Amino acid sequence: MTDPILEVRGLSTHFFTDDGEVKAVRGVSFGVEPGETLGIVGESGCGKSVTAMSILGLVQRPGKVVAGEIMFKGSDLLKLTKEELRNIRGRDIAMIFQDPLSSLNPVLRVGYQIDEAMYAHDKIPRDQVERRGIDLLKQVRVSDAERRINDFPHQFSGGMRQRAMIAMGLSNKPDLLIADEPTTALDVTVQAQILELLRDLNEQTGAAIILITHNLGVVAGLCKRVLVMYAGEIVEEGTAEQIFERPQHPYTWSLLRSVPRIDANRGHRLLSIEGLPPDLIDLPQGCKFNPRCPFRVERCFKESPPIEQVAPAQHAACWVTMERAYAEMGAGTITDTSPGAASGVHPDGRRALPAAEVPAAVAEAGQ
Amino acid sequence: MAISTPVLEEYAGGTVAREQVGLWRDGFRRLRRNRLALAALVYLTILFVVAIVALFWTPYNPAAILPNTLTFLGPSAAHPLGTDDLGRDLLSRMMQGAQISLIVGVGTSAIVLTVGVVVGLIAGYFRGWIDNVISVFINIFYGIPGILVAIILYLVLGRGLGNIMIAISATAWMDMARLVRGQAFSIREREYIEAARASGARSGKILFGHILPNSLGPIIVQATFVIPIAILTEAFLSYLGLGIPSPLASWGSIASEGYAALPLEPYMMLWPAVALSLTLLAFNFLGDGLRDAFDPRQRL
Amino acid sequence: MLTRGTLIYIAQRLALIVFTLIAVSFLVFITVHSLPGSAFESERVHGKALQLVLHQYGLDRPILVQYWSFLTSAIHGNLGVSFQIRGLPITPLVMRELSVSAELGGTALLITIGIGTTFGVLAAMRQNSWVDYTLTSIAVVGYSVPSFVLAGLGVLIFSYWLPNVTNGVISYPAIWTGTYGTLVELSLPAVILGFYTSGQVTRITRAAMLEVLQQDYIRTARAKGLKSRVVTVRHALRNALIPVISILGPLVISIITGSVIIENIFGIPGLGKEFVESILGADYNVTVAVFTVYALLIGIANLVVDLLYTVVDPRIRY
Ligand SMILES: Nc1ncnc2c1ncn2[C@@H]1O[C@H](COP(=O)(O)OP(=O)(O)OP(=O)(O)O)[C@@H](O)[C@H]1O
Ligand code: SF4
Ligand SMILES: [Mg+2]
Repeated sequence: MTDPILEVRGLSTHFFTDDGEVKAVRGVSFGVEPGETLGIVGESGCGKSVTAMSILGLVQRPGKVVAGEIMFKGSDLLKLTKEELRNIRGRDIAMIFQDPLSSLNPVLRVGYQIDEAMYAHDKIPRDQVERRGIDLLKQVRVSDAERRINDFPHQFSGGMRQRAMIAMGLSNKPDLLIADEPTTALDVTVQAQILELLRDLNEQTGAAIILITHNLGVVAGLCKRVLVMYAGEIVEEGTAEQIFERPQHPYTWSLLRSVPRIDANRGHRLLSIEGLPPDLIDLPQGCKFNPRCPFRVERCFKESPPIEQVAPAQHAACWVTMERAYAEMGAGTITDTSPGAASGVHPDGRRALPAAEVPAAVAEAGQ
Repeated sequence: MAISTPVLEEYAGGTVAREQVGLWRDGFRRLRRNRLALAALVYLTILFVVAIVALFWTPYNPAAILPNTLTFLGPSAAHPLGTDDLGRDLLSRMMQGAQISLIVGVGTSAIVLTVGVVVGLIAGYFRGWIDNVISVFINIFYGIPGILVAIILYLVLGRGLGNIMIAISATAWMDMARLVRGQAFSIREREYIEAARASGARSGKILFGHILPNSLGPIIVQATFVIPIAILTEAFLSYLGLGIPSPLASWGSIASEGYAALPLEPYMMLWPAVALSLTLLAFNFLGDGLRDAFDPRQRL
Repeated sequence: MLTRGTLIYIAQRLALIVFTLIAVSFLVFITVHSLPGSAFESERVHGKALQLVLHQYGLDRPILVQYWSFLTSAIHGNLGVSFQIRGLPITPLVMRELSVSAELGGTALLITIGIGTTFGVLAAMRQNSWVDYTLTSIAVVGYSVPSFVLAGLGVLIFSYWLPNVTNGVISYPAIWTGTYGTLVELSLPAVILGFYTSGQVTRITRAAMLEVLQQDYIRTARAKGLKSRVVTVRHALRNALIPVISILGPLVISIITGSVIIENIFGIPGLGKEFVESILGADYNVTVAVFTVYALLIGIANLVVDLLYTVVDPRIRY
């Protein structure tokens, strides 16, 4: 095992809003090895983007990183000065975002926006910047790059904009590329092209990639290792094969069960399971998944499960784990996945409404 | 989409009503939290009281050139704000000025409200050639400074309190009409209007029962902002000697006389300057407060 | 740059301006000529002599005929003659006054935009801090305090108080001397005029900046590692200027409104002063001319603004 280039330890990021402290990310730890492709999955609002933004110091008021370390090439990003951090952003760690139209500045030419990233860091010799800008556009397979580089973003199609974003991200040959839902806003065919592009780039340039997504299919196609987040925490970590074939956390298991249903329809939330994620201001005691978990036991309401090794290279935070759930609760055959259904645990009236009875308005609000 | 059952209409109406109540409640809560707007409200209440008192009583006759009184008398017990270039009591004149400013401000706003809302609703609801005629007219005059139109019109109509309000309204109603027209356009599109229409409500009921209540927030805000504009325009005209005929005192005319007397007695300009500035400031703060509270969409 | 579409657009707008000018001048012409009295009354011309003068100026013809002759000569650039200064051609007079007003108004516009955008950006960058509250309050004060009040204050300080204190070393003339004034003479009225409208610019710049700073492309710019000054100016401000441009038209109107009173206070021989004098002196040809020139000015300003959009925002093409 090589040394990780990025190591996040105990990262917590909270938002101090008028309604209370939104504990969006709590005690997240993981590492990224050079050239690795890591996927982060989880429902909407579970803290994937906030984690990524925290790494680059892009969290804005009222948000604040309240604890943790982010070790990158031997220094803690959280302790750097603004200028030192600026030098890392876009140079060593690049980031691309979900919506490629709104992520490009409408009044500046695409080429300018790509070149600007290189000028800002002086890593690429100045006289090569323009040439490289065109080459990059070609590399991300924008046809007629010489001419299109002078276009404005609105003259590009959605897929081309995302390609331009990727070109921008790669311009300074970063060691790590964080892609936050790079395909969500795109057509299925374009999605596939972008993923293929990311895969090729990872192989050619050796840049590590963190891919954040709702879409398990996307992760399966690209990532060697996967983190599953729930309510601001990492609940399971493992190789793609482990996560998809032998998930140990009931949440991961539930997500996988819901894949086929939603995959059919792009544009809808790609992951969704019964019930709602908890309120991040007022979190439940014990395991944060207990209000929705079919396999919960008494202990789940009292103590938060620590993340522990469940198999070689696989970790999960669960008192029960799926291995036990299969063996003792018949997880392989159940059809009722409502809270406590498999374990029969509904302590002191804590029984949550079955999903079917959740009022439609509430369910929508949670999407 | 046509929803035509009575049940659905009632449901739609109920939603609108509930939405409205909620909006107003939230609005008042926001307004109460806005300290500047509250301070403005307190100041304006006092000013209104002064203006009403001035209807019945002023220390002296504001127009009277007082016998045995010196001109340009500084503030004293007998004349708390001093006397002017003709020896008239400035406090009395300022009180009358408050009256004039408020009448012009509120009166103009009322005219603008009536004309603007009616024209705007008609244009926005009926559309077609009526809307075209109104829009062309508004577009022609939209770019013309209101003060120029007001000056000419005021002189044509003849000097007087009523005419100055009409003269200022002559251009000011257009903003209101545009606003209401736009609101009517967008609200008309909404489902519950469709619902109301499909079930045979008459256009009058739709206009005043649905569109008007739904755009009340922005309309009130706009009407509030007309007040300082009217007060300022009146003061401008009076300052230029084109305003309220003397011996009626307007803050604008007192300021103009005060400007002439500046090297001799600066305080004479001070009172109308302070009164005008505070009053305009108060109305603007109040308008801002109302906008933040009741029309969050166009918050600046 | 100037595509065929743009040229067609400009042509259409120019046609619209001409239409507006005709409509506006017609309405003003009719209205003004219905005013009681005329410039000659004050000259004590009576009876036969008055008839003669009226005839000489064509004022005894039906009003529509008078307007028609005004219009036909106006198209040739001849705005008629003044009554008050018998027979003085109005076109050169108004042109000179326009240039004086443009000097004042143009300076004020620059001041307005300078102050307004600077304050707006600073307030937005420090949202909800005391800087923000102070600057936004100044903005409201700016358009609440009437310009003649500021003029009074300025004159009091610079023309009476400072000369007194400094024994006349510093002295500011309250009234303009030459046609175009001196730089010193220009400064006070231009600042007052500009300050009045700067409040609107401050508010709209602040709002636009706040809006823009929330945009995804600002996050992208920061993620690229650009310096924060570059993010603010190149990425945020350029986008925030688009809504600011949209109020340039109203701004020109505000400045014209303000200049009517400022020119009268400081004795600046511009259009605003002429407008008031002509209407008080019943010199109606001049009134109509000034009004029409104002309408033309505003029409052109609005056209320029719309064309400016295409420069700042590449998404807009006509
Ligand atoms: N500016 C903010 N103010 C308050 N809360 C915020 C803010 N930004 C994010 N949050 C909270 O942080 C939580 C995590 O948000 P995040 O954007 O990381 O979710 P995500 O996993 O990326 O979801 P999605 O898949 O929808 O992008 C959310 O529940 C949200 O409530
Ligand atoms: S079994 Fe318990 S610990 Fe495991 S996920 Fe369910 S609630 Fe959490
Ligand atoms: Mg996200």
